[in-house]
Formats: sequence, structure tokens, C-alpha cells
Amino acid sequence: MNTENRHPLHINAKKCVGCVHCLTSCPTKAIRIKDGKARIISELCIDCGECMRFCPQDAIDSHTTSFSDLNAFKYKVAIPATVLYGQFDNATLPNEILFALRRVGFDSIYELSTICELNTAATEKFLKGHPRPRPFIASTCPVVVRLIQRRYPTLIDLIVPIEPPREIAAKILRANLPRVLKVKPSDIGIIHITPCPAKMVSINYPVSMEKSYLDGAISIRDIYKPVLQALRQSKDEAIMSRLFPETIFSGIGLGTALSGGETRGLKNLRTVAVSGIQDTIRVLNQVEMGMLRDVDLLECMVCPDGCVGGPLAVENRFMAKSRILRLVSHLGERSVVDDSDTNSLFQKNFMSFTHSLKPVKSTPLDADPVRAIQKAKQRNRIIKELPGKDCGACGAPDCRTLADDIIRGLALLTDCPFMMKEKK
Amino acid sequence: MTETASFQQEFKVKGGDFSRGGEASCEIKNLLRDLGLDPHLVRRAAIACYEAEMNIIMYAWQGRLDLLVTPHRIRIIAEDKGPGIPDIKQAMREGYSTATPEMRELGFGAGMGLANIKKNTDTFRIRSKVGHGTRLELTIKTNGRKA
Repeated sequence: MNTENRHPLHINAKKCVGCVHCLTSCPTKAIRIKDGKARIISELCIDCGECMRFCPQDAIDSHTTSFSDLNAFKYKVAIPATVLYGQFDNATLPNEILFALRRVGFDSIYELSTICELNTAATEKFLKGHPRPRPFIASTCPVVVRLIQRRYPTLIDLIVPIEPPREIAAKILRANLPRVLKVKPSDIGIIHITPCPAKMVSINYPVSMEKSYLDGAISIRDIYKPVLQALRQSKDEAIMSRLFPETIFSGIGLGTALSGGETRGLKNLRTVAVSGIQDTIRVLNQVEMGMLRDVDLLECMVCPDGCVGGPLAVENRFMAKSRILRLVSHLGERSVVDDSDTNSLFQKNFMSFTHSLKPVKSTPLDADPVRAIQKAKQRNRIIKELPGKDCGACGAPDCRTLADDIIRGLALLTDCPFMMKEKK
Repeated sequence: MTETASFQQEFKVKGGDFSRGGEASCEIKNLLRDLGLDPHLVRRAAIACYEAEMNIIMYAWQGRLDLLVTPHRIRIIAEDKGPGIPDIKQAMREGYSTATPEMRELGFGAGMGLANIKKNTDTFRIRSKVGHGTRLELTIKTNGRKA
């Protein structure tokens, strides 16, 4: 099995100068510098994109779907993440953006905020039907799911087993579009437009279903310029789209692009919303140690402020957040999803996971318990010996990790420049 | 019987240091995971450690967690210099708590601490002397529970 290609993030060796920015920013310590270039340890990477954020050389590429890949489909459908509405200036309304996507080359565009509202309503039904255990953890952020699978295996059963809005939307479209459009199912390409590199993994290697209903994900970064050009060229169409709005937007759903958005839609439930990778890790540690038992739903999003802070977004997250909040307040709290629709889909388990999530085992120091204990002791001795400066010069993010690598046979004590000096 | 191999590490815990509460337990948790122990066992140990650590932080002046891991069991000694527990029987009851309103605001003091430690361990011994301190000795068996 080729696990190397599973991840969307790749180091561009031509641009990488072997500095330590990505090394120290990686929350799972999945990066090492070897021979002057950064390398990602595939089994540890959770696709959060922190390295991308911190790389000053722009040397980390995200392999998302490209425009030319779209040509494989006769009929191209776009499902943009609601974050897209925050990427352009205040005068550009969501309807115009959707219209511009058509000019960019999509045959039809389906708006996601209603499905986000549907997802929130389904989560509420699930929580009310499952009074225990607590807290449940929202499954919307794919990086959180990957993090739990690897670092918090005992919390897997706390993940709400409901598919995220993008998959629910694609599933509905996949079931209906061939009939509605009279197009062969294989000719239809359903593409998500996203600020998040991890979506690509959840599409190519889904963990909660057999096969993703999406055919790919284009980054906001890649589509930004063509959309902007289309917006500029089509002033008349913009007027038309404003006068004949084609889509109903959900204020409740739109808010889910922001941290706390999913929990805001849940009335009468005790919720906690956390954003940012470090705070997510902190709160998951607390849950693992038995805290937050009085919370119904814990929403964790690893990007700062939620999906608006995604590494593949263009606009800074504060501007994007402000615009989305403005749209949310304009749209109000009015629900646009019919309760009977939610009920019927929920009862059919249409939105549920079809595969149960499996933990991904971490590699122990040694398979043999006696030797593992000996190695842990040895590791502590090496940690004491190392300078504790966490400089990254050895290629590992900190002294502790170097000690761990040495014990596992992946590095040498002499990789540490301070130890070298002492030897001389 | 002498153990063939053992790992021992001590973690100092400072009374009143809420901002670093849980750090020792977290480190113990990661260590047990590195040793390849079953995740559910690791979690039980982590919960017990955390409760013990927080008890020291909340009530005592200073203390330590002493971890010993052998191929067959995990032993944790939580020892503190502190006010001690006058009535251990009462303190062991679920729901009994002497937590102050400040502690409760932080989410502690539901009166589950000691009972929760006992629930998550295989053996549980407690000794306390009022005005001197408290000593907990906990073990979790790991025989044949390797992941």
C-alpha cells in the first residue's frame, strides 16, 4: 500500500531551504529535516496544514484537484464551502459568487448552507436520542477525526456518526442528478470548493464510508483568481443575479464556516466550541482524562476561528469572518430546512456513517513489553544528556523527539550539534 | 518475585498550580502509550492520575506522582504534604466534596475524585494523617493486556 501519496501536503524540494519553521509548528511532530530538506512522516501526518501556514518559503504544496482534472467530466457540479462567501469584498453577494462559478466552467452550483443547517438539525436529533455518553464530538472537521483516530483512540465512540454537509450534499445530488439531468452517472463530476487540504484525503480515503460521493476538491486559492475575473467581467449578470436570486441561503447553515457555528444552531443543548490545533489538543486531553462530562456536544475545528481560517483560503480570516457574520445577521435565525425532510432523512439513516471509525495504532517503542520498558528508560537517559534547547538543528523538532528517534533507530546522538562539540 | 524490568519516574506537583494541572498525568499517559499498552488501560491510568494530581493541586501544598511500570502492572504513588483527610470513609463517598466555590467554577469538586480513582484502578490504598498529608497507592494490572 502506498501511504506516501495519501496526504495532500508535499514538500517542494526545490523551494525547501531546510529551516525549522514547519518542524516546530507540526502538532504531531511529523516532520524531520533530512539532508537539508523537510520530510513528512506519513503515518504521523493528520493533514492539518499548520506547516503550510508557517513555511516562509511557500515550499509546501497542497495537491488538490486542478482545473484540468475537471475535463474528465461532461457535467461539472460545484459544491462550494460557505467560507467562499467571505473571500470577496462586502459588495459581492453570495448569489453573484455562485453565478461567477458558472462562468468559470461549472454547469451547476449547489449551495451548501441549507445542508449545513440540515446537518445541525440531524446532530441535534442524534444527541437527543443518545443521552449517554458525554460529551459527543462533532465530526465536521476531518482533521479532528484523524487526530482522534491516532492520538485519542478511546474517544472514537464519542464522534457523532453523521456525515459532514459536503458529503450529505453530494450524496443527495448523486442520487438525483442523473435522472433530473438525463446524464450518465459517470459523466457527472461533483467537486467541493474548499479552504482545507484535509478534504482531499477524506474524499480519496474516506474513513466512515465505502467511497466518497465527491469526485474532488478544488482549493479556494486555485479558484480565487478565475472567480474574481468572472465577477469583474459580468456586471450585468451580477445585477440579474441580485434581482432574481436563485438560491435560498440559511443563516444557521452559513454560520458553520465559523468556530461555534455548529453549536449556535443547537438550542437547549450544552455545547463547547474550540478552534485552533493546540486548543483542540488541550481539550481532547481533558476529555480523555474524564472531563467535560456535562457537555452535550464538543465542536473542535483545528483551523483558527474555524474553516474561515483554513490554510487554502485567500482572504485573511478576520475579514472573512466579519463578512460571514454580516451575512448571518442579515439572514437571521429563520430555519429554511423543513423539519419533515430532516426527519425522513434521519430515520432512513441517510446521513449516518456506514463504516464505524477505526483507531490507527501508534508504534510503541518496542513490541516486547520488557524491551519497551528498557527503551523508555534509555530514552529518559538520552533526554537528560541532550542540551534541551529544542533548536531543531538535528532535524527533529525538539530534544525529546530526537531522543525518541534515537531509541527507534531513526537518528543518532551525534545528529545533535551540541553533542558533536562535546565529543571533540 | 523480582520484576525483570521496570520503569520509574517521578513527577513533582505543586499545590495551587491550577494552570499546569494535568501536565504530569498527560506525560504519564503519553509514556504508557509509547510502551504499547492497551489504549483503554492507558485511559484508566490517565483518569486515575489526573484525579490524584488535581487533588494535590487543589488541597495540598506540594506533592509528587511516582510512576512505576513493570511488564505486569502500573503502580502510581501520589503523595502530598497537605492538610490530610480527617474522615476517609466519607471522602470516598461519591458526591462528597470539600471543594471551594472557586474550584467548582473550574469544573472540579463534583465529589467523584477518590471514588473515580478507585473505579479506574485494580488496587487502591489510601493513608492520611491530618495536618501532615495523604498517600495514595494505586495499581493497574497489565497482564496480557498489551495492545
